[in-house]
This record gives sequence, C-alpha cells and structure tokens, in this order.
Amino acid sequence: MLKKTLSSIFVCLLFAFNILAQTSKVDSSEMVTLRIDPDAARGAAVSQIFEEVKFIPLETTKESLFGSISQLRTTKDSYVIYDYDTKSVLIFNKDGKYRAKVNSSKVTADANEKDKQVFYGFNLIKNKDESLIRISSGKNYFFFDLDGKLVKKEAVGKRNAEDRYIKFADSITTIAPFHIYKNGKDSTNYEIAILNNKKEVGLYFPFESERFEKDQYMGGGNPVTDYGTANELFYIRYYEYNLYKIKPKTVSLAYRIIFPASISIPKNFMDMTEYKKKRVEYFEKNPNQIYGISNPYLIGDNIYFKTNSWGWSQDKKNALVYNLKNGDLTSLKNLEPDTLSQFLPVTDGGSFYDFTNNGFHSYENGYLYTSYSSLALFTFKDLNVGKDRKYDPVLTKFFETQNKKSNPIIIQLKPKKN
Amino acid sequence: MLNLLKIVLAFTFAITINNASGQQSKPTLPGSTKGILRDTAHNYALKSATVSVYKLSDSSLISYQISNNYGEFSFKNLPVGVSLRLDASHVGYQTLRKKFTIPSDKNFVDLGTIIINPKDNTLEEVTVTVPPITMNGDTLEFNAAAFKLDSNAVVEDLLRKIPNVTLWGDGQITVNGREVKSVLVNGKPFFGGDVKVATQNIAKNALEKIQVYNTVKDKSNPLDSTLTVNLRLKKGKELGFFGKIGGGYGTDHRYEADASFNVFSPKMQLAIVGASNNINKSLNGINTLINNSTFKGVGTNVEYQPDFRASGINQPNAGGVKFTYNFVEKPTWENKNTVTSSYFIQNTNNDFVSDSETTTSINATDKIFEQNTNTTSSINNRQIFDAKYELTKKNKALTMSHNFSKNKGENINETFRNALNTQNVLTSTNNTFNQNSFDNSRFNFQVDFRLSQNYMKPKQLIKGVNVSYGITVTDNQSNRSNLTDFTSFTDATSNRKFDRRYETTYNEVNQQINIDLPNLKSLLFGKSDLGGIDFQLSNSLNLNNRKDDNQVQDLNTITNIYINNAYLSNHVETNYIEETPGLTISKSFYKNLSNRYNKNLSLNFAPKQKFIHQENRSQQSFQNITKNYQRFMPDVAISYSDNQFGEYYKSYSLSFNTKVRIPSLDQLAPLTDSTNLYSLQRGNLNLKEAVDREISLSLNHYDQTNKNTLNYNLSMIVGFTNDQIVDSTFIDNQNRRTNFLTNANGNRYLNFYGDARKAFKFKTSELQINLNTQISNTKTPGYTNSLFAFSKNFNTNTSVTVNYTYKSYLALAIGQTYGTYQSKQEAFNTVYSGVNKASTLSSSYNVTKKFTLNTNISFNQSSSSNANDINFTIWNANAVYRFLKGNNAEFKLSALDILHQNTNIINYGSGNSFTIGSRNVLQQYFMTTFSYYPRQFGKKAVKK
Repeated sequence: MLKKTLSSIFVCLLFAFNILAQTSKVDSSEMVTLRIDPDAARGAAVSQIFEEVKFIPLETTKESLFGSISQLRTTKDSYVIYDYDTKSVLIFNKDGKYRAKVNSSKVTADANEKDKQVFYGFNLIKNKDESLIRISSGKNYFFFDLDGKLVKKEAVGKRNAEDRYIKFADSITTIAPFHIYKNGKDSTNYEIAILNNKKEVGLYFPFESERFEKDQYMGGGNPVTDYGTANELFYIRYYEYNLYKIKPKTVSLAYRIIFPASISIPKNFMDMTEYKKKRVEYFEKNPNQIYGISNPYLIGDNIYFKTNSWGWSQDKKNALVYNLKNGDLTSLKNLEPDTLSQFLPVTDGGSFYDFTNNGFHSYENGYLYTSYSSLALFTFKDLNVGKDRKYDPVLTKFFETQNKKSNPIIIQLKPKKN
Repeated sequence: MLNLLKIVLAFTFAITINNASGQQSKPTLPGSTKGILRDTAHNYALKSATVSVYKLSDSSLISYQISNNYGEFSFKNLPVGVSLRLDASHVGYQTLRKKFTIPSDKNFVDLGTIIINPKDNTLEEVTVTVPPITMNGDTLEFNAAAFKLDSNAVVEDLLRKIPNVTLWGDGQITVNGREVKSVLVNGKPFFGGDVKVATQNIAKNALEKIQVYNTVKDKSNPLDSTLTVNLRLKKGKELGFFGKIGGGYGTDHRYEADASFNVFSPKMQLAIVGASNNINKSLNGINTLINNSTFKGVGTNVEYQPDFRASGINQPNAGGVKFTYNFVEKPTWENKNTVTSSYFIQNTNNDFVSDSETTTSINATDKIFEQNTNTTSSINNRQIFDAKYELTKKNKALTMSHNFSKNKGENINETFRNALNTQNVLTSTNNTFNQNSFDNSRFNFQVDFRLSQNYMKPKQLIKGVNVSYGITVTDNQSNRSNLTDFTSFTDATSNRKFDRRYETTYNEVNQQINIDLPNLKSLLFGKSDLGGIDFQLSNSLNLNNRKDDNQVQDLNTITNIYINNAYLSNHVETNYIEETPGLTISKSFYKNLSNRYNKNLSLNFAPKQKFIHQENRSQQSFQNITKNYQRFMPDVAISYSDNQFGEYYKSYSLSFNTKVRIPSLDQLAPLTDSTNLYSLQRGNLNLKEAVDREISLSLNHYDQTNKNTLNYNLSMIVGFTNDQIVDSTFIDNQNRRTNFLTNANGNRYLNFYGDARKAFKFKTSELQINLNTQISNTKTPGYTNSLFAFSKNFNTNTSVTVNYTYKSYLALAIGQTYGTYQSKQEAFNTVYSGVNKASTLSSSYNVTKKFTLNTNISFNQSSSSNANDINFTIWNANAVYRFLKGNNAEFKLSALDILHQNTNIINYGSGNSFTIGSRNVLQQYFMTTFSYYPRQFGKKAVKK
C-alpha cells in the first residue's frame, strides 16, 4: 500500500480555474449522498456477501513459479496474470493448471533498440471467442495467444494516448483519459474526454499540463474502473470522495461520500496553498485522514470501495461494501469464514498484504477476483488445526502436495446482488 | 582433562540444587480452556485482543495470550478446581471479565463464544486491570503494571519475566528470537546508549510499558525487519535521578570508592562520576563508570570480575561530567538535533614487575637464552574534553565534533637482562635504568556532511554527496635519562657504560579530506540504463607535517658534565602527502519472489591510484630523503544475501584489498642509539614499500524462526605481502643484536574468527550456549646471522560459555577457554609450542530477596613444550546484603583469591623465539564494601 502510494506521488501545478468554453458540465442532478463511518462497519459471514467461493491454487512447477499476482484478467478458459517479480505474464487454465508463459525472452527488441526489453503489464484484447495478450515493450506491441505464442508484432508508431482508450460496446464511443484537446495553436488537457468516431463530444475536468510538477498528488491506482456494467465506468479524482459515472454521452456525479470530519481532508484542501508541494508532509502529520478512495465496483445494490490514508494498520477497516438499499456497511477485512469458504478467509486483508496492496484484481462476468500467497493459505489452515475442518478435493490435494513456498492461490468470489 | 571432570562435577552439583528448589515450584498443571471473542455490535470475531487468566483469590496472573485471526484463544497448564478469572481487553472495547473454574474430573472447560462490547464514548471507563500484553497497531506492548514484581525490581527483572523476551549473558536482548538493535528510553538513547544503564537502573515501577516495534519497514517482506525496544516511562516519571555512592576497605590496605550521579529530564541528561581504588578496577571513561554503578534489581547476575586478572598493581583515580541535550524531544531517523559534551580526568599509578625468559634460535643447533627482569612504575594524568553536535533533517546530516586531550606523566623503568649461551653459560649482562617524564596534548576537530538522495525529487542531478574534514594537532614533549651498563664475560673490551639524557619534542598536524559522489549514473549518462551499472567517484587526501627535535647529552665521566651528542641531537621535519582518487563501479542483481525469498548479489570494482610523497629535511644530511611512491590498487568486493522468509537470513561477502606500507625515516636512515646493545637498529636506504594483498571472506547466518534460534558468524582473512620489511638480525655470542632492515617476499598470514550462539527457553529456566574461536597462522621471512629462514606461527583460542538461569533465584555460568601456540623454524629445525587453558564456574544464588551469594572459581593451566606446567586456581566469593525499604543500601563482603594462587603467566611464541614468565598481580584480599544507591523517578510526592 505504501509502495503504491509512493509510486503515485506526482509533483505539479495547481491549475487556475480558467473555465474554458468547450468544457462540458458534469451532471449532478441524480447525485446520491452517502454518509459512511468506516469505524461503524460490521462484519458478516462470507455467505452473507458472496454466493460462491472457489479457491484455485495455481500449479507450481519450475517453469511456472512466480511471486505474486499484480494484474489478473480472465478469458473463457484461462487466467492471465502479470507477476512483477519475474516480469512475466503467465497463463493458467481455469483449474489452475499451468499453460504458458511470456517473459522478456519472447519479446525481442528491434535492432536499433539498445535497452533490454522489460514490460510491466499487459492488455487483454478480446475479440469474440478469441483473446490476445498485448504487451507493449520498446517500440512495439507484441500479441501473444493464450499458449504464449507470438502471433504478431506491430510498431506502436508514435506513442499516443490511444493506449489508454476504453471502447464502449457500441464500438463508436471511446473514453479517453488524459486527453489533449487542440484548438488551433492552443491545447488544453482534460482528465476525461468522450470521443465519438474520434471527435470530442464531451470534455471534462481541464487541468494544466504541468500540474504534476507543481504540486503533489496522491492516488490509489487506476482512476477509471470497469465494474462490469455495459457502457458504464466509474471515475475518481485526486483528493475527492466522489464517484463519477462515465456513460456514452455524459459524465455525471453519481455518489458523493461523506466521511466523519475527523478522518476527512479539509473541504478546500486543494486551495490551501500552505500545503502546496507539501501534501505528503500533510498526510504524514494527519495519518488518519483519507486522501482518496479507490477500486469502486457497483454490483447490484452494493458499492465496493477502498479508502486510502497514510497511516496504516492491519486492523483498519478500509475495504468496505455499502448497501444502497438498506445502508448496511460491511468491512471486507472482518468477513467471517464459514462453510461456503471452507472456513478459510476469502482475502488476506488484516493478516498479509496482497489484498491491502491490490484490492480486488478485477470484476468479470459476475465474479470478483483476489489472490493470496501459499504462505497465507497455510497459515490460515494451521489456525484450523484441531477443529475437524474438511476441505474440498482441490484444497485437500493442495495441502498434501504443496508447501508455503508454492504459487499463490486465486480466490473467485460471486458477490450477491442485493 | 581433570579440569573438565571438575566442571562436570560442579555442573551436576548445580543441577541437583536446581532440582531441589525446582520441587518447590508448581508442577505442570492439567487444566485447559478455550473460547472465541465476539463483538456482536459489529458482528465479527475480535482478533488481536489480550486474553489473560488470573487466580481469583489473589488476582495473580497465571497466563495470557493474544486472540488469533478467528478471535480464538486457548490456554493450557491451568490449575483445576480453582476459581479463575478471565480478562479480555482491546483498544476501543470495554474490558470483559468472566469467572470460571475448570472441573477437576474433565480438566477442560469450553468457554464458548464470549461477547465483548465496544467502549461507550460517553462513559469514562475505570480501568480495573491492565492487560499484560497488547497490540497497538503494529507495536507490541508489554504493560509493566500487569507483571507483579518485587517493589525494588528494575526493568531487567521485568524483561526476564516476559516469555517472549530473552536476555543474553552478554547483554543482548532478543524478542521472539529476533535481535533487538537498539534500546531507547522515551524514544532516545539513555546515558550513552548502553542497554544495561537503562535496564539495570530504571525502576520497574517507573515504567509504563515496553514497546517493541520494527524500525525499517519493508512491507513487501512481512517477516523481515529490525527491532527496536522503547521503554516508555510513566507520566511524571520522565524526570528523575539515580546513582551510587560506595566505599570499601580491606586487608593489605586495599580500598575502593566510587560515586555516580545521573539526572535526566525529557530533553536533558547529565552524569557526574568519580572513583578511586587500588584493586585494579579500570576507570577508563565516563561510560565505564556509569556502567559499573548500575543498581541492578532483584534477579541474579553472574558477577564478572575481569579486573582481578589484570597484570600489575594499578591505582586509578578518575572523575568526569557528561551532558546531553536533545533539542528535539522525540527524535526520529530524519529529524534529530542533539548536542553532547563531556569532561574526564584520570590519574593512575601503576606498578609492573615481570620476570621472563626468551629463547631464540640463532641457527640449527645454537640458542640464546635471555633472562629479563623488568620493574616499571608510572604516574599518569589524563584529561579529555570533547563535544559533539548532530543535526539530521530529512536527507541531510551534519556532524561536528571536537576532542581535546592532555596527557602528563612520569615513569621509571629498571631492566636487568642476562644472556646465556646454549651451554647455559652467562655471556653478557645488559642493565638499564630509564627515567622519563612526558607532557603531550592532542586536539582533533572533525566535521561530516552527508546529503543523500531525495526520492521526492527524482530529477535531482546530484543524487548525494559525502564530505568530511578532520584536523588533528599533536604536541609532544618528553625528557628521558638513561643509564646503561653492558658487561661482557667473554670480551672485556666490548664493555660499555652510558649515562645519556634526551630532550625530545615533536609537533604534528594531520589533515584528512574525503569526498564521495555516489550514484553518478544519471549525471554522466542521463537516462540510459547501462545494464544497471552505477558509479561513484571518491577522493581522499591526507596531509601530514611533523617536526621532531631531539637534544641528546652524554655524561663525560671525567669532567662529570653532560655534553651534547652531535650525532643523536637532531631536528627533522617530515612532510607527507597521500592522495588517492578512486572510482567505484557497482552492479547489483536482485531476485525476489514475493512471500518466498529475497536474494541480492552485488559486485563492486573500485580501482584507485595512490600517490605518496614523503619529504624529510634534517640537520643530518644523510637523512635528507625525498621519496615518491605510486601504486594502482584495484579493490574488488562481492556480497550476496539470501533472505528466506520465516526461515533464515544469510549473507556472504568476499573482498580483495591492497595496502601499501612505506618505509619511515627511522627505517630508511635512523640515528642509531648505541645504548641498547641488545637491539641496535640500522637502516637501509634501498628499502622499498611493502604491499599487502588481502582477501577477506565472511558469512553470517540469522535464524528467523521463533523458537530456539541458532545464529552464527564466520570470517577469514588471507594476506600475502610483497617486499615485507623484515629484520636481518646479527646476534653475537653475547646476545648483542644488530637489526638491519631489508625487503623479503613470502610473508603470509591467515586469520579466522567464528562464533555461534543458541538459546533454549523453558518455562521457568533458560539455557544459553555461546561458542567462539580464533585461529591465526602466519609465515614470516627473516634473516638471522645471514641465514634466511621462514618462521611459521600457529595460534588458536577457543572458548565455550554456557549460561543457565533458574527463575530469579539462580544463575550459573560455565566457561572453558583453550589457547594454543606453535612456532616453527624449519631452517633451524626447532618447534616451540604451548597451551593455556582455563575452566571457569560462576554462580549467583539469591538466598532471600535481600541476600545473595556469588562465587566464581577458575582452574588455569599453562604448559609449554620446553618448560614445566603451571597450574593455579583462583577462587573468589562474595556475600551481598541489601537493606532499607528501597534496597537502596548494600553491604558486601568479598573474598578474592581465597586460595592465594593468582598468577599472571607469560607464555607466547613469535618468530624464531618463545617467551615464558610471569607478571605481578593482585593477590588474596578480603574487603567489606558499603554502597548507597540514591534513586528517584518522578517528582517526590508532596507531603500533606
């Protein structure tokens, strides 16, 4: 978590409010205000939140051994993960069997490229039933199939923002984060642009291009989240507790979260010039104040999200589920294992670090995915000793044949919608 | 062998005592219980809560633990059929109390789910009991109030009570098997940072809690970090004083007196100390005095009396003041502002007497025996005044310090030497009488500045810089008179008599400037990666100027007037410049697998070029020598570390270094003083510099498991010297030696060091084992009467210590040391060897809370291949009685060297000779000592 926080510290300029004519207005007519006190979050049995829990140990062989999962996507029959330790993409079948691996040896540099080819993630390009893994390295895009075979190599050409574009289902609308709008000689930066056939139809949140050099920004990961609903995305801004909803035509303020004053940043935090370039220091001194929220998912009536603050403790209830219908607030770190989860925790939050660092990896086809280490799973199992716990054949075999140094385990969770 | 038998017997005896007292303690109890803590208001199991079990009748703590990830707890070893009380507590919750009894027919009771309620913010909770252990965020806290101890207990006694803590015989502390790197009091080092000053002085009752936390947090590796222990004092107890005033008198006019007074407040620490004795207790500095006068609580310590073994009779008097002020009340690693200053004065009288015989081989058949009787008495007065200022802010650190010392004294030395030939016939005698008075002063000023990389500013061009400057000025003056009488029994014409006076002064100014520029890659090569190679530039410049002035006079026996010796009287000025620019090229390889391991290999190649300029200007023209040296010195270092999470941490390092030793003026062209006929020094203008090439290897292993850890360290150095500056000695049959110097190849040395430690912690007792060994093997070339010979030396020293403590009643230490030497000259076909052995048994037994008996006995044996064995046993014992309410007063009766056998043996070999003999030591005495320990933590309560 700290690592992530530090890596997302940027230095830049507070931008002057020169509202430009072309800037679109955020629609806040349907805004819902949520009052949330994380301290009051309650626990629940796993089966009260999830209707399905599946543990998928990933096969450990000399070839497939990796550190931890920092990115996870699923296809019809496999998991594609990225491991920062070995700088590789690994593909496992849905049952956890190792399938293939792409590492730097498969990504060859052009003759004129001096630096070694290293990549830090992947994109999954889904096309009907076929999925391709796109790796961006050096001056090229490399496309691999799910057996790790190189299918094609394309020059990236002039590196542009299109790498980050998110295409909506209608295949005409594109969401462009950090878009540069050009008007003759002038150009303006926008955090979000909605493009229709490459034409700007909406421009939101202008900012000065040098803002990261003029002030410090602390974020909690990707500001754009796909929560599995077609043509909808969540968007989060720095030092705000707002959830913006991006739709094909508009950006609207969907939810405004209000935390207790003791853990909230001052309302005009960005206008407080005394903290300019001293934001990090401010949070060092106020470690309980939430500097932002992240990983929001709207699943049925439930909003899943994480709160981020400088101060850190295993006991802190910072991964929450809020039920929009009945106002129930549940802490994911305080879920109690029950028969549905074979009396094993569904995340390692509160004991180890994978869930704290990454939150849920993704929400795809009705399932949330998280992962934890073999060390964690064996530790949890050891706490069950003497309680006559029965495990399913997959875990029974895992405990018999594997050890604390085996590959991590994927936990697939189907959240309840109401 | 006999020694070992004695030790085994003694140990068996000790174990028997232990069993006898062991029967008085509680046997293993059959009862057990378990349960789950639940917060029903929030609907979850409560983890990290403290659960403690007390006996209901007297509220004594029986056991405690922290609830696990599922809110569960489970106790074993509880009494059955007795009313018990369970307390559960957690920050933010009301303390829960539950009475229960374990039925004696089942030996088990399931307490099921216990409901614990969140704290009601509107109600101020009255804390009934403090839980013994709490988790406060990531800090583990032991609450002093929960541990019932004697009212006079100190922090150390509390530490022994905590099952998670091990207090080692050598003072090291481990928590759950992991080494504690620093002990702080309210976040700051306490009176110089020695652990014992804090743990043996601070009253347990002044302590609120002991906090244990990780200082360097590496969150990607949850099991790896270093530990800090902070002793947090109770509110109002953060100011106070402690100290000792004591005096003792014994047989043979033996006496000792010491006083130590220490005051502390949240920002300031002040210590005033003074001591005097004639029982060889060394008083080397303020910290020694503070460390020697700690209060100690009610537990047992094996009293260690090394001073008694010191050679000679020493009578030191000393006193001093030390002051520390922290401008920042709670300093951190990136915000510190501290000034420290101290003054120390010491006055010592020493009397040394030694008798020895050295056997030297001069060729394959002939030997010379030199019998040496030496008496030295000296008076020495030393004063030191120093100050240090430290300022640390974020990534910048500045340290300034100065040290001024003045040393004045006199000594008188008388030496009688007889030389005998192989047939044991006296050939010559050389007797000297020296009287010397000296007065020297030294001033040193040092400033260091360090700027390290600011990770908030990745674009910074200069990633860091280290600059240091130091200047040392030395003034030395001495007056010496020497009477020498050389008598030959084979050639009366070579008899010599001298009466010579020396007046020597020197003045030296030494300046050292070092600059390092680390992380230069981005400055030199911009953003290119260069395969992870980084660079550092460094420069080291040393400037030295020394002026020597010697005035020597000889007595003209006819006129009875001292006249100037034109040869030895001289003035020399030496300028020395050493310049070493260097480059370091480094590359690191990391291999990391989350939650599994973390490996790191780093390679350093550091080519350096050393330039040395040495210029001597003398009144004696043959000493006007200017020499220049330069040498390319490529240093290489490879280090590897392997951290297997939760198992072990291992590190290896291998390095190659070159050192240059240039010949001094005294080696090139000395003024030969003919008074010392047994060792006349001659120079050699053709001497070259000696070059050492050294390979060092080290290995460290730290256990990361929680129980019964085994840690060890090994290191080895192998060196080869080219052009070693060696003696070419000519010895005549009257033992007159003339040493010429020359260069020779083939000098080799090997040094090995290893230590291992392991602890076993049982319920009421603890066993610690410590092993360490040192081996050195050298091959030294040399010439004796033009015959070239290598002398090979092989020395070892091994010691094993076993410490055993039982509750707070008994402490035992058993030690065995074994040292050997062997010196071999193949050309002369001679081998000298010897063995020194000592077996020690120390014990401390608390007869009552106020009365303690200590005893230690050591069996010593010294044997040599060419002489009879020497055996002696030293037995010391003392009885300590403490009285007054706070145990503030102490009465001690000690008996030292009860068997009257204390001896200090000389037994060693070197080169082509070996020496055996003895030195004078302190022998048997009895002493009674009275001490008073004034101590107070917090302000005195106002009497109403």
